[in-house]
Amino acid sequence: MKTFIFLLKKLFSFITLSLILISCGGVPEETSSTNSEKKSFSVADVLTMVAHENDITRTLYTKAIVGGGKKQGFKFDEDWQDEKVEAGPLPALFLRGIANDIRKGDVPLGLYLSSDFPINASNQLEGKQADLYKDIKENRKPKHFFDEDTKLYTAMFADVAGAPACVSCHNKHPKTTKTDWKLGDVMGTTTWQYPADSLSYTEAMSVLKAYRDGTTAVYNDYLEEIKNFKESEKPEVGKKWPSNGKYLPAPEVFIDSVRKLSAYITMSSLMK
Amino acid sequence: MFEINPLRKRQFFGILIGTTIAITAILCLLFVKPAEEYLSIGPMNTGHEGFSCNTCHADARGNWLQQIQSNSEHALGLRKKMVEFGSLPVNTKKCLSCHDRDNDRHPTHRFLEPKHLKAIQKIDATNCATCHNEHNGIRVSLTQGNYCINCHSDTKIKDDPIDVPHSELFKKGLWTTCLQCHDFHGNHQAEAALLMKDTIPLKKIKAYFKGGDDPYKGIKKFKALSEQEWIKKYLKK
Repeated sequence: MKTFIFLLKKLFSFITLSLILISCGGVPEETSSTNSEKKSFSVADVLTMVAHENDITRTLYTKAIVGGGKKQGFKFDEDWQDEKVEAGPLPALFLRGIANDIRKGDVPLGLYLSSDFPINASNQLEGKQADLYKDIKENRKPKHFFDEDTKLYTAMFADVAGAPACVSCHNKHPKTTKTDWKLGDVMGTTTWQYPADSLSYTEAMSVLKAYRDGTTAVYNDYLEEIKNFKESEKPEVGKKWPSNGKYLPAPEVFIDSVRKLSAYITMSSLMK
Repeated sequence: MFEINPLRKRQFFGILIGTTIAITAILCLLFVKPAEEYLSIGPMNTGHEGFSCNTCHADARGNWLQQIQSNSEHALGLRKKMVEFGSLPVNTKKCLSCHDRDNDRHPTHRFLEPKHLKAIQKIDATNCATCHNEHNGIRVSLTQGNYCINCHSDTKIKDDPIDVPHSELFKKGLWTTCLQCHDFHGNHQAEAALLMKDTIPLKKIKAYFKGGDDPYKGIKKFKALSEQEWIKKYLKK
């Protein structure tokens, strides 16, 4: 009988303790709205879309801001953020800035610039990417693959010298490893990485937004840099472009132009 | 049948009251700032002195009972994911909320690039804590000063300005000499020396890493947010 009472007490204590524990309801499961959403896009489609957006952005920046700006006497330098240097970012640094900004956010998107003849040795193509680049250089077609080392879905796109400024700067650069670049040459690749093979509409939009936010952030950094110029002439920031004189487009003007130029392909990709 | 000896009864209530007072006192002490010093696993690193625990250790979702229940459910297969218990882990993103800057020469995210995969297997430069492990009362917890070797062993310098060329220093394996001119994050507005004899002695750099005076001449380009600035930026929106 005593044993029975003892067991009864134990059972009672256990039930009481369990009730106390479960009475609070636990921490709600995290349910991301994107988890339940249909995966409508392949990673290749999304990376192709954002790579196109990147092409438009870089081409516009290189031709209209760097190319046009140089004619107005604006300076662009790889050490543009150095306190002693009064200049804007060179196109490769502009892209690096965008990639940095993406990495600071929550979208797991990677963007890198590599070449077989890089100015900066850390951008040298290596391993599997160097092998695939041989084909890209020949036929200019993108390569999509799963990178076993990083376990990331990867896309490589040809990086073509689209503006005279690309060629002249790379050929003349003191650290250049190749001095005979020509307009239209494949100068390297832009590589994109993402951890999933398919994306929902929300995730695809997040990728696009991360890229656009990165562009805005770097362009704003450039304008901030200009504000601190002490010796160089400060261009007027507004609606006009360097082709009109000593002007620079405001961030919204620059971004709007990118959107207008990329809208057809971006929308076509999203409406698939 | 259920009769209890009055002495036992008194003992039981005594224990109950004592335990309640003790738990209440401990719980109260846990949440007052002076007690944080005793709860901390070690002294805060240089520059972080006087920080509240909550500056880095954000509370995890739910209360302790909810967290125990959720993790018990997970153990029984009734829940997909475990939940954090007590506080959230302190990660690089948390560090960068105060220390992020655009002109960092070696930002953590750069090491996420596939080309750095081999290097980060040797030294995980994607994680601030690899070099700045907290609660050690120092500035840099990494003891070796030769970490540049992991990425720069094939670096070539054109028009090398220093009297003993970089190539020679690399050849001799003098990798600690890098820090005698270059601070890792490039946060000092200073020119590198042109003569080896003018470089910063390693002893001074090691003392700096341990929390001593800054041997790199020139002003700092960037100052991290103070705790008050961090609160203003992130909590008072």
